[in-house]
Amino acid sequence: MATLVRFGNWLGAMAVAGVLLVAFALQFAQHELPCPLCMLQRVAFVMCGFGFLMNLRFGSQPLHYGITLLAALFGLAASGRQVLLHIVPGDAGYGSPLLGLHLYTWTFVFFTAVVVGVSLLLLLSPREIERREGRHALPMGALSRLAAWLLILVTLANAAAAFALCGPVECPDNPTSYWLLNRS
Amino acid sequence: MTALIFLLIAIAMLTALGGRRLLAGSVFGLGLILSVVWLVHHMTDALPLSF
Repeated sequence: MATLVRFGNWLGAMAVAGVLLVAFALQFAQHELPCPLCMLQRVAFVMCGFGFLMNLRFGSQPLHYGITLLAALFGLAASGRQVLLHIVPGDAGYGSPLLGLHLYTWTFVFFTAVVVGVSLLLLLSPREIERREGRHALPMGALSRLAAWLLILVTLANAAAAFALCGPVECPDNPTSYWLLNRS
Repeated sequence: MTALIFLLIAIAMLTALGGRRLLAGSVFGLGLILSVVWLVHHMTDALPLSF
């Protein structure tokens, strides 16, 4: 059962990294610049990833699942707000749809899946042994290290992209170009 | 601000990978607080609606 839980956490970390890579691909290949709420949804993704990474590094613990659940609720609030902003009939929405839904709607679905998935992982998690191990770092396999470094690289890339888009100030509501490029 | 939040979470991840759980949690907590402040700021924007 512990292996299944560890695999679930690894899968969660890889899924978060994958979603952020797809968002990056859309941003740079199709010039779909993220709005402030879209950026906050990406923040929620990396925060979810942090919870999964903590489980991979220190063993599965309620505290780490709590982090992931809080991050998912944060993401649900940001994406839910954006869905409601564009819910009026006739509103074209923000950005291009992907497989029939806008990215913020997919994000809402993803965070709902995270809440369900983490609840299941919590139910399946071993009770005592791993909790006792929780304060000490556990050895990580190659796949876990891959997921961790992928998450870290994607998060750092998002920090650079956010700075390039918004600079040290507030992001525009409907960005059309990069703040960094406009300065030169 | 968003770049700073991403940076804080990346630092928290690196710290966790280095095995320092408490420090990682503290840096993450700071990032979480900033994120919530920033979300509230953006969620309370006035909407240009007219009926």
